[in-house]
Amino acid sequence: MNNYPFIKKVFVPLLLILFVSATGCNKLLNLTSPNEVGDDDLFNSVEGLRNARVGMYNTLQARDYYGAYFPLIAEAYTDNGTTGGYDVIDLNEIAARSLTPSNIYITQSYNAIYNTIYTANKIIENIDNVPDLDEAEKRMILGEALFVRGMAHFDLLRFWGQHWDKTSPYGISIVTSTANATTAVPRSTVEVSYTQIMDDLHTAEDLITEDNGNQYISPSAVAAMLARVHLYHGDLSEAADYAISVIDNGAYSFFPTGEVGKIYTDRLTSESILELKFEAQNQSFYNAATYLRDDALRPDILFMVSSNLNDFFASRVGDTRADLVDFVNNDLSIEPDGRSQKYRGETAKDNSAFVLRLAEMYLIAAEANGRINGLSYLNDLRTIRGLEALSDEDVADDDTYLSAILDERRAELNFEGHRIFDLARTGLVDANLGEGVNPIMPIPQREVAATNGAVEQNPGY
Amino acid sequence: MLRLSNFVFAMLICLLPLLVSAQQVSITGTVKDSKGTPVPAASITIQGTNQGVSASTDGSFTIMVPTANSVLVCTAVGYKEKVIPLTGNVINIILEESVSTLNDVVTTGYLRQKKSDITGAISSVRNKEFKDQPVANLAQSIQGKVAGINVTSPSGTPGAGLLVSIRGASNPLYVVDGVPMISESNSSLSTSYNTDGEEQGSGQNVSSISDINPDDIESIEILKDASSAAQYGARAANGVVLITTKRGRNGKTEFGFNSFTGLQNVSRTIPFLSSSEFVALVEDARAQDLKLYNQDPSLFGDDFDPALLTNPLPESWSTGVNTNWLDEIFRTAPISNLQLSARGGNEKTRFFISGNYFDQQGIVIENQFKRGSFRMNIDNKVSDRITIGANASFAYTRNQRSFNDNTYTGIVTNAIGASPLQPVYEDGTYSDYTAYQASWLSDNPVKSAKEITAITASYRFIGTVFAEAALLPNLRLRSSFSTDYSNLNDDQFFAAITTDAEAVGGKALKGIYRSTTWINENMVTWQPELKGASTLTALGGFSMQDTRSNQTSLVGIGFPPGSGLQTISSAASVQGRPVDEYPAYWGIASFIGRVNYAYDSRYLLSISARYDGSSRFDPEGRWGLFPAFSAGWVISKEKFFGTSKWLSSLKLRLSYGLTGDQEISDFEYRSNWTGAVYDGVSGLRPRNLGNPDLTWQRNKMLNIGTDFEIMNGKLSGSIEYFRGNRTELLTQALLPATSGFPGITSNAGNILNTGIEFSLNAYIVKNKNFTWNTSFNFTYLKNEILSLYQDGEQLSAYRDLFPTHVLKVGESVGSFIGVEYLGVNPDNGDPVFNDLNKDGIIDENDEKVLGKAIPDWFGGWTQNFQYKNWDASIVTQFSVGNKVYNLIRGTYQTLGWSDEGWDEDYNLFQVYANNAAIVNNRWRNPGDQTDIPRASLVFQNYLQNSSMFLEDASFFRFRTVSVGYTIRPKTKKVFNNLRLYAQVQNLAVLTKYYGFDPEVSSNGGDAPETAGIDYAAYPQARTITFGVNFNF
Repeated sequence: MNNYPFIKKVFVPLLLILFVSATGCNKLLNLTSPNEVGDDDLFNSVEGLRNARVGMYNTLQARDYYGAYFPLIAEAYTDNGTTGGYDVIDLNEIAARSLTPSNIYITQSYNAIYNTIYTANKIIENIDNVPDLDEAEKRMILGEALFVRGMAHFDLLRFWGQHWDKTSPYGISIVTSTANATTAVPRSTVEVSYTQIMDDLHTAEDLITEDNGNQYISPSAVAAMLARVHLYHGDLSEAADYAISVIDNGAYSFFPTGEVGKIYTDRLTSESILELKFEAQNQSFYNAATYLRDDALRPDILFMVSSNLNDFFASRVGDTRADLVDFVNNDLSIEPDGRSQKYRGETAKDNSAFVLRLAEMYLIAAEANGRINGLSYLNDLRTIRGLEALSDEDVADDDTYLSAILDERRAELNFEGHRIFDLARTGLVDANLGEGVNPIMPIPQREVAATNGAVEQNPGY
Repeated sequence: MLRLSNFVFAMLICLLPLLVSAQQVSITGTVKDSKGTPVPAASITIQGTNQGVSASTDGSFTIMVPTANSVLVCTAVGYKEKVIPLTGNVINIILEESVSTLNDVVTTGYLRQKKSDITGAISSVRNKEFKDQPVANLAQSIQGKVAGINVTSPSGTPGAGLLVSIRGASNPLYVVDGVPMISESNSSLSTSYNTDGEEQGSGQNVSSISDINPDDIESIEILKDASSAAQYGARAANGVVLITTKRGRNGKTEFGFNSFTGLQNVSRTIPFLSSSEFVALVEDARAQDLKLYNQDPSLFGDDFDPALLTNPLPESWSTGVNTNWLDEIFRTAPISNLQLSARGGNEKTRFFISGNYFDQQGIVIENQFKRGSFRMNIDNKVSDRITIGANASFAYTRNQRSFNDNTYTGIVTNAIGASPLQPVYEDGTYSDYTAYQASWLSDNPVKSAKEITAITASYRFIGTVFAEAALLPNLRLRSSFSTDYSNLNDDQFFAAITTDAEAVGGKALKGIYRSTTWINENMVTWQPELKGASTLTALGGFSMQDTRSNQTSLVGIGFPPGSGLQTISSAASVQGRPVDEYPAYWGIASFIGRVNYAYDSRYLLSISARYDGSSRFDPEGRWGLFPAFSAGWVISKEKFFGTSKWLSSLKLRLSYGLTGDQEISDFEYRSNWTGAVYDGVSGLRPRNLGNPDLTWQRNKMLNIGTDFEIMNGKLSGSIEYFRGNRTELLTQALLPATSGFPGITSNAGNILNTGIEFSLNAYIVKNKNFTWNTSFNFTYLKNEILSLYQDGEQLSAYRDLFPTHVLKVGESVGSFIGVEYLGVNPDNGDPVFNDLNKDGIIDENDEKVLGKAIPDWFGGWTQNFQYKNWDASIVTQFSVGNKVYNLIRGTYQTLGWSDEGWDEDYNLFQVYANNAAIVNNRWRNPGDQTDIPRASLVFQNYLQNSSMFLEDASFFRFRTVSVGYTIRPKTKKVFNNLRLYAQVQNLAVLTKYYGFDPEVSSNGGDAPETAGIDYAAYPQARTITFGVNFNF
């Protein structure tokens, strides 16, 4: 060993290296993500809360929610639409109105909506702890989060729950907290679901007092949403009151006859109450799913308007909204079906999601007020869109009146995500879509599996 | 961290001069064989230590020994080991030739061991077994050669990623000269798109392993069990592929020139119907439907007009054209390789340098893979105690890719099913695919090939500097500092005339990926001289690794017409959100220890442990301890065994241990919010649900094996049993959607791989002039899911496709689901499916597990012949029990079905697709016995997700057949040797599979749970090459 007098000089530094590296490890292992902000750090400041608010609007824009697919599936499943694609079974199922629980489109929409609810819940849970938050801003953001949570639950209820039957046990899984997120949440009854939705919307109604433009949730948007929810729930006078309050507040107005297309080309117009805004840098999927390019083929288009809608408009002479569906300039493979013209702009692909529009308020007012008091609202809309007003004789009984309203809804709101809900809540699915067609979607197979059956499948699936 | 490593390294450098040499004796000598020929690269070591030198090219060596009565041990591949007690300062060693492989040196991580001392499960492949193969990816060249490793080519596209699985675990760790490589596909074009540019699934993959030039590799070791892999434990859970490149030798500088050139063509193709057969099929479909209509019109619905079945076909059906679309997109393509290398050195310094150029044109038009690479490996002996060295390699690859391989808008996919009545060109341009009879197409395939260019260029640098010092004669310190740098550029351009870009006037995709890995390793090895027959090696140290990568992608649309410009800067607008991501951002720190003990080379024991910390886990669960042990008993060295002439060596091995896996995304342990935008304002949206309980996946591997040699290696082999249990599996666990997320990264589930490996090597004939060597290996593998977070999760290989696979307890990973097809009803030609739940409807409730993508048995059989200066070899490979979901068959076996391709007057314009010749066996008349149903225009007499299209993909492949002739001049003054050879790669494959090739997988190899989907993958090539190996 004496041959190695330097041994201390070797081993001491070696031990030192080991020691230094051991402490260096922590530095190596405690990394901060360059892409993301941790959950714990987000709500520590007003800026963080504002970021989450922007993020919440962004979750509404997900492809499978208002980014396009949720409203379009609600149309393609009905006599308004059909599907294309390369013989994709999951798309074919939508057009055939015969869904299986593993359908990928239905599954992805279900997931996307709950992602929005998670985001809203995060804001609701944490807003009280955000330091230095101005009270007015707090009320506004909390109100928006509650509105989004209420709307998202309502969208779930009308897509997957028996929303027309107050006694039905087939409501939806209600999520109002992000704690224990991985625990299965069984479905509530339809009535409990409505109560939760109404509670959130009514609280939002108290909190939201500013109007920041129709791309944001405004007092009118809350009222309009309440009108819609009350209509579905059958509270006709409340529905009428809310709808009329929006009509009468003067903030919204129709384009002159013949200019209805401007809703879709000009964007954020006076006809929109809540419209999710997209940009070329933050595109929606409406154009790609419904138009794509001039000479697109059937397989390229996911959601087409069906020839049935062509026949429908053929019987409505003068209806300016007929221009918003095209059955002529299409490839042979698409015929006899056609393509919606509501989502044009193949370059920018920044088509809006039309969540709430003035026309719907007229339709709600018309429907909720009943034949005698409501007809004027229906006629207001008809005449502005280029049709003759209906006389009392034209709608001699309630059934005729309802069918006139549903036709008007079809003409006005096609491809905006209304048709299946309107047919379901009025009990006209069988009559219009065929005997035995299920008015609601199957709970995704993966949800039933992930909850070991705690979330029950819908009848008929 | 970097600064720290620099500091550590600098300190080590400073320490080195402190190490002064002690009194030693210098011994010189030569090593020759029985014929007197020098044995270069023979290794001469001092017994009981790992100090040694290797002989130079003329067989001479000089070694310093501590005492004059040391004992030297001389070994060389192909010779018997020789023990030489020192008698003087000059010794001449004569080695006896041997076919035994017991003395072969195997790299086992930080140590090099003799094969006879190994107690783990390691397979070794030498350069001569894989050199000269006309393949871009080295893993492809060991297909069928090694038991336990199954290499599958998911596509025949040059440079494609491979599905490599070691004992049922996919995606092993690749380590090149001690540097763990980034081996995944990092191209942003490795996805498939629909015509709107939306991602549909993972598509053609590029392998970053293709950045390694196979010609530079000396040997490949595959570490299969926990004990062997323990050295790389932190990422070794799926096995390790250890690549050792060539190093210099002392002696005269030897130059090597290797080159081959050849031609490739498609090895198996699918015969399609000609124009007249196609029209006949459609007419038969109409006639069959008409017959049915006349029997029962109600089947056709209320709106149906039978005029569709009787109207004469419109004029568009008689173009007089007969295009064979596959011939239009396939070609005979050249391939060539050029390698020049030099290796040499002296006592002090040794080097290996090489340059390589590889050029492979694809068998699909416009497709090409090119690689240029350089390598330099240098070792320098600073003093008797200190060695320093460096390895550096740089590779540039340029892959001009085949668009959307293996998805439904690709070139091959479009060619399949295109109407033969459609010409390729028309009126001076590409014919309009919408005007012809197949609605399946998304574009004219020749147009797609020529007008969509996709180029992935990669720049890769892998380098190491190291220093090794003998602190004491038996205590050595090795410190190394390595980097793996990769830069990848993706450029895809869609001309304005393509379907994909016509709405936007041209579209360009640009992706830039950059990744940097730094690794610092410090190891101390202690080999004390023990009394008696015991030997001991102890090793300890630590390593740190830090990997960061960053990816930017942009989409530009609208390009100046006719300008030919394709860069984003000339685009009218940048579309979508430019993505700038950090796909990797992680670090690992590890402490490693190992003790190898042997008594008389008879009882062998090895114990190892490592303690790893990963930044990917929560600080609480960050550190994991992974112990392993292995033991060996060389029975043939026991006295009672005697000296059996017949059974010359017999060894039993046992190993058991744990390895860890951290292969998940970064920062999954906490809930994160990522960038989002609304109304032009940026904000944050939730990305994931954090799981603070995340920790290492622990893989437990048991290995029991025996190695034997009969008649001194005339016959040798091993049999191994393994049981690999992957526990606390890192998976994306299915969550209830109410959580806000579809899944969460969790430790959940347990997968068991059990199997048997058998390999045998025999010299059937070995005499002076003629040698016939045969080697055979097979593996039986059973993969079974023992538990899962969620049983029965269904998966799809493509985003918008029905589920094709299921993860189910009791079944194998990669199990297919679908409806069982029972055959054709001979009375009416209808397909019959198994109505499992007897509800009268065939739907997803009738689905069951139909088979699996993993084979039961696989292996290979190789013959090598040597007659005087001639050599020949035949390499074959087989796989039994694996299935493939031939989904594209749902396009070319549509039996005349039309997706409502008629106009309002019921004139038929389009059917779905042209069909393959297999439909000529279809049912036509009552009583016909066949499994291809009746043709029909209106009804889909096929079901894509059924066993109708799930095919047995077992195969036997003649992978390589070669013949060579070697010229060895009597005097080596002119050159050492020259070998000329001819080779056929992928000569033939015997299989029942109907598609292009039974070796196929949809997602380019990295997802075993959705493996085995054929969506018209790029077919495999048959390659004929002529080459030369010239050493001078």
